[in-house]
Amino acid sequence: MNRKKFNKFILPALLVAIATAVSFTFSNVSQASNSKSDNDDNTFIVGFDAEFPPYGYKDDNGEYVGFDLDLAQEVCNRRGWTLVKQPIDWDSKDMELNSGSIDCIWNGFTMNGREDDYTWSSAYVDNSQVVVVPTNSDIKELKDLAGKVVIVQADSSALAAFTGDDATDENKELCASFSELQQVSDYNSAFMSLESGSADAVVLDYGVANYQLKNRGDKFRLLEEKVSSEQYGIGFKKGNTKLRDEVQETLNEMLADGTFDKIAEDWDLSDSVCLGQEGADAVMQAENDAASSGSSSSSFGYIIIELLKGLLNTLAIFFLTLIFSLPLGLLVCAMRMAKNPILHWIARVYISILRGTPLMLQLLVVFFGPYYLFGVSLSNSFRFTAVIIGFVINYAAYFAEIFRAGIEGVPSGQWEAADVLGYSKSQTFFKIIFPQMVKRTLPPVTNEVITLVKDTSLAFALAYTEMFTIAKQVAAANSNIIPLFVAGIFYYIFNFVVEFVMGKIEKKMNYFE
Amino acid sequence: MSLLEINHLKKSFHGNEVLSDISLSVQEGEVLSILGPSGSGKSTLLRCATFLETMDYGTLSYDGEAATVNNASEPTKYADKDTIRKLKNNFGLVFQSFNLFPHYTVLKNLIDAPVSVQKRDKDEVTKEAIALLDKVGLSDKKDAYPDQLSGGQKQRVAIARALAMKPKMLFFDEPTSALDPEITAGILKVMRSLAEENMTMVIVTHEIGFAKNVSDRVIFMDGGVIVEEGTPAEVIDNPSNERTKAFLQKMDVK
Repeated sequence: MNRKKFNKFILPALLVAIATAVSFTFSNVSQASNSKSDNDDNTFIVGFDAEFPPYGYKDDNGEYVGFDLDLAQEVCNRRGWTLVKQPIDWDSKDMELNSGSIDCIWNGFTMNGREDDYTWSSAYVDNSQVVVVPTNSDIKELKDLAGKVVIVQADSSALAAFTGDDATDENKELCASFSELQQVSDYNSAFMSLESGSADAVVLDYGVANYQLKNRGDKFRLLEEKVSSEQYGIGFKKGNTKLRDEVQETLNEMLADGTFDKIAEDWDLSDSVCLGQEGADAVMQAENDAASSGSSSSSFGYIIIELLKGLLNTLAIFFLTLIFSLPLGLLVCAMRMAKNPILHWIARVYISILRGTPLMLQLLVVFFGPYYLFGVSLSNSFRFTAVIIGFVINYAAYFAEIFRAGIEGVPSGQWEAADVLGYSKSQTFFKIIFPQMVKRTLPPVTNEVITLVKDTSLAFALAYTEMFTIAKQVAAANSNIIPLFVAGIFYYIFNFVVEFVMGKIEKKMNYFE
Repeated sequence: MSLLEINHLKKSFHGNEVLSDISLSVQEGEVLSILGPSGSGKSTLLRCATFLETMDYGTLSYDGEAATVNNASEPTKYADKDTIRKLKNNFGLVFQSFNLFPHYTVLKNLIDAPVSVQKRDKDEVTKEAIALLDKVGLSDKKDAYPDQLSGGQKQRVAIARALAMKPKMLFFDEPTSALDPEITAGILKVMRSLAEENMTMVIVTHEIGFAKNVSDRVIFMDGGVIVEEGTPAEVIDNPSNERTKAFLQKMDVK
C-alpha cells in the first residue's frame, strides 16, 4: 500500500472509527449502570464466585446453585424480578459492581473489614475462619502451624484475618511464624496442594470447610481452635441503599415466615445463619447513620513498589523460559525433521499436544501431575520450578515450528555447497544453516517473545506471585483498579524494550540477505 | 590412471529412469564437456559424481580409490562415511546458482572450509585465498558480502572458493546459465585459464562454442544415455548421430 495514502486517509479514518467505538462503549456502560441501580429493567444480577460452595458454585449438572443463590432466587420470586446469576472473577468483584455489570455481591461475602467499602444488608451468616489439615498431619493446634506452608484464598477473609488492617496481633504473629502464607485463586487448587503435600494447612470459612470435608471424605480434618469469627452480608454498590432496602425488606419477610431457615437447612447451614439475631444489623445501621467517608488508603508509591516486587518474578519467568525453551525448541525441531520415524513422531505428538492445549492447564499438570499420577509428594519450592517447566515445554513447541520453517526456508543449494566442500553435518548446520535460520526466524520469534511477556501472568494458576497476580491482589484489597492499569503500563514498557532490542538484533543481521 | 571413473551408472526417480547405464572416465588434465538437451540427465550425472545424489546401480572411484564396494552393474553400495568424506577432497563443484554463503564475506567464503574442514593453517590459506581472488579479478571485494556482488562476480568467487580446497578436478554445472551473455565471457575466461593450467574439468554447459574451444573431449547425452562421444571436432563439427545433429541445429551451431 502507498504509505502516504495510508497516512493521509486511512489512518484518520481508523482513528475516527476507534474513537466512535470507544465513546459508544462508554455511553453504553454509563447507561447500563444507571438503569441497574434504579433496577427498573426488572433483572437482578447477582455476582458470585462460582467456586465457593455451598454459597454459590457449579453443581454436577453444570447449574449454578448454592445457599446464596437460592436466597436470591426467593427474593426475586417475591419481588417479581428476573434473577441473573453472574459468576465473576473474585479479584475483579469491585470493578464488576462499580461498573454496574452486577447489582450486588451475594456470595458468602465477609463484612468484617469491608464495612465502609459497600452498602451492606444485615448479616445473615456468622462464619468463622478455621484451619483444615490432612488427617495424618501432626498439626494439633494453631501454634503448630509455625514453619508450615499455609494456604488462603486470594482476597479472602482468611487472608484479611492474617494480614488485613484489622487483623489481631495474635493472628499477625501467627502468620509471621508460617514458612509461607500462600494465596490461591480457588479452593480446589488449595485442597490439591494440601493433598499433594506442597502445603500443610488451609485456612478458610467454617461453612466452606464443612462442605469441603463432607465432599472430600476423611482425608482432612478441622482444628478445634479458630483463627477468627466473621459475618456474611450482601454487598451493594456504595450508596445504592434503595436496592439494598428492597432486598433487605424481602429477606426479613422470608425470615418471618420461616422460608429463610428452611433454605438454610437445605444447605446444612442452620448452625451458621444469624439473620435477625442480635448484632446482625450493626453494619447497616452504622452506615445509615454515618455520612459518606473516603477511605482510600493505598498510595501510588505503594502500588508501584508492590508491582516492582512482582516484576522481578515476572522477569525470572521470562528469562528462564527463553534460556531453556530456545535450545529445547531447536532440539524438538531437529527431532521433528529427523528421518528416524520414532523421533519424528515423538516430536510431532509433543508439538501437537503442547500447542493444542491451554498453557494454564499445562502449568497445572506439571505442578500437580507428579502427585496425582505417581503419588510423589511435592515440596512448595517445586511451585516455581513447575512454572518454568510449564512455560519452557510450551514455548519450545512453538519455537520448534518457527525454527523448522526457518530451516526449510534456507535454499537447498546451501546444504549442497557445504556438502561438496566437505563440511560435516553438524558443521553444516551450525556454521552455514543456523545463522541464516536465525535471521529468517527473528520476526516470528519476536512475536513469541512479546507473547511470553504477557503470558507470564498465567503463573497465577500456580499461585506464583508475579506482577499481574500482585496487581489483582492489590486491586482487590483496595477496591481500586489503578494497580491493573499500572501493571498494563509495566507490561507495555517491558514489551517496548523487547521490541527495541529485537529490532536492534534484526538490524545487526541485515548485513546479509 | 583415470582421475574419475564411473561404470554402469543407473539412476531413477520414482520409477522414471534418468540415467541408464552410463560409463565414463576422466583423465588427469583432461577437459570434458557434457552437452545435451534439458532433461537428458547431464546434471544428474554430475550430482551422482559429486555425491549429491546416490546412484542406484554401478560403481564410482576417484584417483583409483573406490567410493563404492559393489561390483559394476550391481546395486550401488557406498563405502563408509569417512572414505566418502575423504574422496570429496578430490573435486570441487561450481553451481549454476553459485550457492555462496550469504552470511560470510567473500574471503571467509574462500577460507572457511579449508580451515575448518581441511584443518589447514589459517594464515597460509588466507594468503592463497587472496591470490585466488586476484586471479579471478576480485581481490578488492574480499570484505564484501555476496549480496553486494553482481551475478558474474558471485560466480567468480564460487570458482575461487572451489579452488581454495585444492581439488584435483572441478565440476561445473551450467556455470553461466544464470548469467547475462555479456557477463558470461568473464566466467569463460577464468575457466579457459584454468584449462591452460591443466586443471582437470568436467563441464555441463550450453555454451557450444566454448565447449568446442576449450574441451579435449565432448560427450553428447540424450534420454539418459551417452549418444556420442569424441573430440570437439568429431562431435560438434561432424556429428554422426541424428539426435546430436538435431540438437546442434537447434542450438544454431550447425
